[in-house]
Amino acid sequence: MSIVENLRDIARVLHPRSAALPEMAPAVLILDEDRQVEYANTSAETLFTPVDPISCTLPALFASCGATGGDDVFVAVDAGAEPTPTRVRLSDDRLLDCTLRPLSSGGFVLSMDDVTAYVRNAELAERDVLTGLPNRKALRDRLVERLAAATRTGQATAVLYVDLDRFKAVNDTLGHAVGDALLRKVADRFNSALRDGDIVARLGGDEFAIIQVDAPQPAGATALATRLIDLIGRAYAVEGHMLHIGASVGIAISPSDGYEPDVLLKNADLALYRAKAEGRGCHRFFEQGMDQRMQDRRAMEVDLRRALAFKELQLQYQPQFDLATDTLVGFEALIRWHHSKRGIVAPADFIPLAEEIGVITAIGEWVLRTACKQAAAWPVPVSIAVNLSPVQFRGTKLLETVTSALAQSQLPAARLELEITEGALLDNTDGVLNVLNGLRDLGTAILMDDFGTGYSSLGYLQKFPFNKIKIDQCFIHDIDAHADRRAIIRAVTSLADALGMRTIAEGVETEAELSCIRDGGCNEVQGYLTGRPMSAEAVTDMLQSIAMKHAA
Amino acid sequence: MSDPIYRLVYYSRNAIVGDPGKLTAEITSILAKSQANNERVGVTGALMFNSGCFAQVLEGSRLAVEEVFERIQQDDRHGEVSLLAFEPSPSRAFENWSMGFVGASVADSARYGAIVQESGFDPARMTGEALFETLHMLALEEERSAA
Repeated sequence: MSIVENLRDIARVLHPRSAALPEMAPAVLILDEDRQVEYANTSAETLFTPVDPISCTLPALFASCGATGGDDVFVAVDAGAEPTPTRVRLSDDRLLDCTLRPLSSGGFVLSMDDVTAYVRNAELAERDVLTGLPNRKALRDRLVERLAAATRTGQATAVLYVDLDRFKAVNDTLGHAVGDALLRKVADRFNSALRDGDIVARLGGDEFAIIQVDAPQPAGATALATRLIDLIGRAYAVEGHMLHIGASVGIAISPSDGYEPDVLLKNADLALYRAKAEGRGCHRFFEQGMDQRMQDRRAMEVDLRRALAFKELQLQYQPQFDLATDTLVGFEALIRWHHSKRGIVAPADFIPLAEEIGVITAIGEWVLRTACKQAAAWPVPVSIAVNLSPVQFRGTKLLETVTSALAQSQLPAARLELEITEGALLDNTDGVLNVLNGLRDLGTAILMDDFGTGYSSLGYLQKFPFNKIKIDQCFIHDIDAHADRRAIIRAVTSLADALGMRTIAEGVETEAELSCIRDGGCNEVQGYLTGRPMSAEAVTDMLQSIAMKHAA
Repeated sequence: MSDPIYRLVYYSRNAIVGDPGKLTAEITSILAKSQANNERVGVTGALMFNSGCFAQVLEGSRLAVEEVFERIQQDDRHGEVSLLAFEPSPSRAFENWSMGFVGASVADSARYGAIVQESGFDPARMTGEALFETLHMLALEEERSAA
């Protein structure tokens, strides 16, 4: 049978409704029984130009144009299997998927699809565009392959999750262009630290992950994490800026920490969370129990997000007395969370989480508005002290919120005292000082809380004219038995006097303590001895009786 | 108009372990390599070394200085690199030095580095400006004695 007679037959095989084989866009070769090319369509001729394919064998033809991978084209047919495509790479990096089918009339037809664009796109889909590193999907695919191979060899595989510390600050202050340039340098440092076979991927933002293979574990992961923390933590010169960031690393190792790719990835992430919680710039291995703690935390987070809506938060008020006149001068608003199942949750157990997840802004605003509203209705115009979280200073809304709370409640600004801790002043001091000046201009008093703990830089006292200093209770406890504590109180009160600030001692529980702080020169006192935190109703009753006494 | 010149000053702890002979060889190789690299990308500067520290000034176009510094950061032989200054500069201070080695010969620095340090050269306690001035002064002295 001649080739031309054969064409119709072939066309039915390839493209049943068309006999237009010669014009078909995919390159097609027809081989005779001796596996030599008998016919090439226009696309095939173009593909192999300047070589004329006719009478060539496939290996000779592929060799003539520097193609690789062509040796396997006959494998499926020779094995009697279904035709499967073989990928051939041409010398110019074009990729052809070649499928060979036997013809019923003898001979073979080879179709060659140019899949270059398709493959490039698929590769791109596996890459992070910014850094060129594999992306999350590619990492997971490699991990699946690796774990499958490791079950046969029994080799350990480590997954390291890496988060950059302080990267967000670079992005926020210097812009995305600098942040992006920095990420490219970070990616480069990752690559320089890895050995052949290890894979690093960018998961997104400032998160990276590494699959470490062929290393003794856990020593290999420890060494790599240590090296990365050092390397990533070294200074960068980027776009004319000197930049410093750090890295935290969480590690999970298969098989001990999981066989499943997703379990391993999750466990590395849990370990990373621990590394960040324990101060960052360090690495932590996954441990059983981290999962439970994380779930507990998540449950707490869910509950906390709903606490406001469910009206589970309440304010209590602890009275404050002036020591010179022994009169009630104000109350501090203290938050209580009453959860239906957890019972009463102490502020120390939920405020840090609220700050971390940002709910503190909403809670803080609720506290402020509620305290102002309740205090505005009190029959005696004593002061009301409200605590502000450092997180509230990060947004731009604080000044606006205080202004609006005062306006809505009609509470005179002079009756509102805002308590801040030095934590608020640690970051972005200038920005915070601007807000504090704005608050003072409104007429509110500003109080430095927990004085004497933390860094307690006296510089803060110089930077902002606080109205009052609250001396931390650790100096008050058992003060009658500690001469050093009495000395500290005297020093703080005389410092405050000299700076024109008042002082209040908190946590006073005994008469002996009260007498000491009185002698030490404190202006005000607050504590279980002089009055426990009480409900809003109890405050109203207490003030009512004071008002009546005055009237009498 | 050509790109503005940037100047970068850093010091680092020397992480090369070995006897003075090995140190000398390593530093000579660092110098040779950085001189070749720097010349190619138009970076000039000076390196000072004693048994404890490297102190280096790099100057050139912003991109070239950033690239050279990044290569240094990824080099295991440096530890605790402290970047002291990185800023635009009106001109080059080491115009003729693709990477000058100043202060003493490489061999002497390796051998007597400890004495140099005792005598008061401690880059860890210097600002970027002071370190730059020190290296610049030493470079000028060396140029004069060579002339």
